[in-house]
Amino acid sequence: MTTTTLTWPSAGESFREPQAAGRRITIFHCASAIGGITLSEDNSELRTVNMPCSSLTREVVLLKAFEAGADAVVVLVCPEGACHYLEGNIRARKRVAKVKKLLDEIGLDGRRLNIYNISPGDRSAVESIIGQTVSDLVALGPSPAC
Amino acid sequence: MIVGQQKSMAEIKEKLGPFSRVLLLGCGTCVKTCFAGGEDEVATLAAALRLAFRKDGKNTIIDELTIERQCEDEFIKEAAAAIARNEAVLSLACGAGVQMVASRFGKVPVLPGVDTTFLGVLEKQGLFTEKCLGCGNCIVDTFSGVCPISRCAKKLLNGPCGGSRGGKCEVNPGTDCAWQIIIDRAKESGQTDRLKAYIPPRDWRTSYSGGSRQLYREDHVI
Repeated sequence: MTTTTLTWPSAGESFREPQAAGRRITIFHCASAIGGITLSEDNSELRTVNMPCSSLTREVVLLKAFEAGADAVVVLVCPEGACHYLEGNIRARKRVAKVKKLLDEIGLDGRRLNIYNISPGDRSAVESIIGQTVSDLVALGPSPAC
Repeated sequence: MIVGQQKSMAEIKEKLGPFSRVLLLGCGTCVKTCFAGGEDEVATLAAALRLAFRKDGKNTIIDELTIERQCEDEFIKEAAAAIARNEAVLSLACGAGVQMVASRFGKVPVLPGVDTTFLGVLEKQGLFTEKCLGCGNCIVDTFSGVCPISRCAKKLLNGPCGGSRGGKCEVNPGTDCAWQIIIDRAKESGQTDRLKAYIPPRDWRTSYSGGSRQLYREDHVI
C-alpha cells in the first residue's frame, strides 16, 4: 500500500507563527478511514489521534481535546455502511452530536466540533476538511475556554 | 434498577457556582446502567464543567470519584478523603444515595446532580421503562405478570376501563394499555378465568403514602 504523507500547512502561513493562535485543531481519525494517509504533526497547531475504530470517540475524549487547548476538533470516520467494525461510525456520530450540544450549552459553540465520513486514502477530502475547519475558525475565533 | 436522568448543564453549573473546589461523586450501580451518573458520566461532566468555568474566567477545581454504590456505608467511607478536600459534593447517585452521603458528611453541602425517576428495566437499546412503584404488596401473578399499579394510568385492579383504543392507553396514548396486555397474556396461558375474580380495595398502608418506610432484617444483624 502506498503511503502518502499529508503535512499541514501545504502552503501559505506557518502555524508556528503567533498569529496562528486560535487555529489549534485536534483530529481524531479512524485508522481505516485514513487509509494510507499519514497526518504529520509538523507544527504546533495540529494534533492527531489515531483510533483503531471511531467507536472510541467517547464524549470525554472529545471534551479533553478542548481542555487541552483545541480551538476545533475534527473526527474522521469511515463512510456510512462501511465501518470495519460495523457500528463504530454510527456511535461516533451520535457522540459527536451529543458533545456539540454540550458545547453549545456551555457557550463554546458546537460548530467547533465536526465529524466527516471519508473514503480510505482520500487525500483531497482530508485537505479540504482541514481547510474548511481553519476557515470556520476565522469566524469562530479562539476557544473562549483557553 | 433505579432509573435517573442527569440534570441539565445549566442547573448543575448554577448549583456549583458558589464553590471554588467541588467533587463530582459518581455511583457505579443503578445510575451507571442508565448512563446518568457512572464513571463515564462523571468524567464527561467534569470535563464539560472545567471548560464552562474556564470560559467564565473561574478557576473552579473539579475533582472526580466514583464509588460502587452511594447507598451503603461500606462504599461511602471510601469517599471520605475526597469529600474532606472539597467545598461541596455533586452526587450523581439516585435520591437515596444523595441523602446517604449527605447524612454521613453533614458539614459539606451535598448537591443532587441526577433526577431520580422510577424503578424500571431496559426495555430495549436506549429505552428504560417504569415497571414498579414499590407498593409493598406484589400481586403481579394475579395479573399475568403485569402490574396494574405501575402500568395502568388509572391503577385499576378490576380493569379494563374500556377507554383504550388500539391497545393504547386512553390517558396516555403513547403507552400500551396495561389491561390489554394482561388480558392478552391471560388468553395465551389459558387463565382468563382468574380475571373474573373480584379484587377488593387495596390496603395501601404498605405503600409510600405514610412517609419513609423501613425494612428491618434482624436475621442479618450480628
